Amino acid sequence: MKLIINGKEKVAECESLSDLLNELNLKLDAVAVELNKNIVHRENFDNTKLRDNDKLEIVTVVGGG
Amino acid sequence: MNDEKLKIGKFEFSSRLIIGTGKYANFDIMEKAHEASGAEVVTVAIRRINFNNKEENILEHINKNKMTILPNTAGCYTAEEAIRTARLAKELGLPEWVKLEVIGDKKTLMPDNEETLKAAKVLVKEGFTVLPYTNDDIVACKKFEEAGAAAVMPLGAPIGSGQGILNPNNIKIILENAKVPIIVDAGVGTASDAVIAMELGADGVLLNTGVALAGDPVRMARAMKLAVESGRDAFLAGRIPKKLYASASSPIEGVIR
Repeated sequence: MKLIINGKEKVAECESLSDLLNELNLKLDAVAVELNKNIVHRENFDNTKLRDNDKLEIVTVVGGG
Repeated sequence: MNDEKLKIGKFEFSSRLIIGTGKYANFDIMEKAHEASGAEVVTVAIRRINFNNKEENILEHINKNKMTILPNTAGCYTAEEAIRTARLAKELGLPEWVKLEVIGDKKTLMPDNEETLKAAKVLVKEGFTVLPYTNDDIVACKKFEEAGAAAVMPLGAPIGSGQGILNPNNIKIILENAKVPIIVDAGVGTASDAVIAMELGADGVLLNTGVALAGDPVRMARAMKLAVESGRDAFLAGRIPKKLYASASSPIEGVIR
């Protein structure tokens, strides 16, 4: 399955969003996720299925002014 | 000495300095600078995770007992990007308020007020406490106030330029007409810049680069703390009018001849 994650194409074999986040080795409580421009709440990571060509933004907090 | 607290929406603070978390050489210096600044609000940015270079979590280096985190929408060029960024910040568990910044020009980082206003209206409706970053322009500031902004943040000078308060008269005019707190945001390069902003009557100062890139950020953080307090006191005390000619401080009578 082809996904666009943070603007880059990535091939991933995962069913749910939590599968993907685990595959990417991310701490679930330190990220927020948008799927096709809609926020996915943390409690829905498990039951959110991913489809070919889905666009994801996975963000975190960084330094800024 | 007594002073009222800085109230922004439902948030209340004793310190009137808001400090950033960007551009520090390392987290250790940042933590020490934050401590020295006495700031009770720190700004952060929201960015895509960098899978190639996973960085340490900055939240572990912010003293959350003393400081409230204020997410920004820096780097956004449209209302839509800014709205999405604010929502993502909320999703990250940060407090539901936002330093709303929509930039219109890459080189000057000047704000796009039209897009900022669009975003402000949507986010206010969604329940966010909105603090828009804008020009030192009375009309823009009024529009944000009318749109429900909890505070308005006019710039002193372009972001990161350290040029100080370029148009004190504009800031003064904004302050005389504002019904919400006015935080001077951007351009503060050294302590005297912060003093000037506060002496004009600003409710607070937001800065990042002036401290983060100073020769000694921790010492500059302390200087900024003192500057904000000093400027605030001078404003509350009420300065003497400027006069063209001298006025002796010692008695004129009784001088030996």
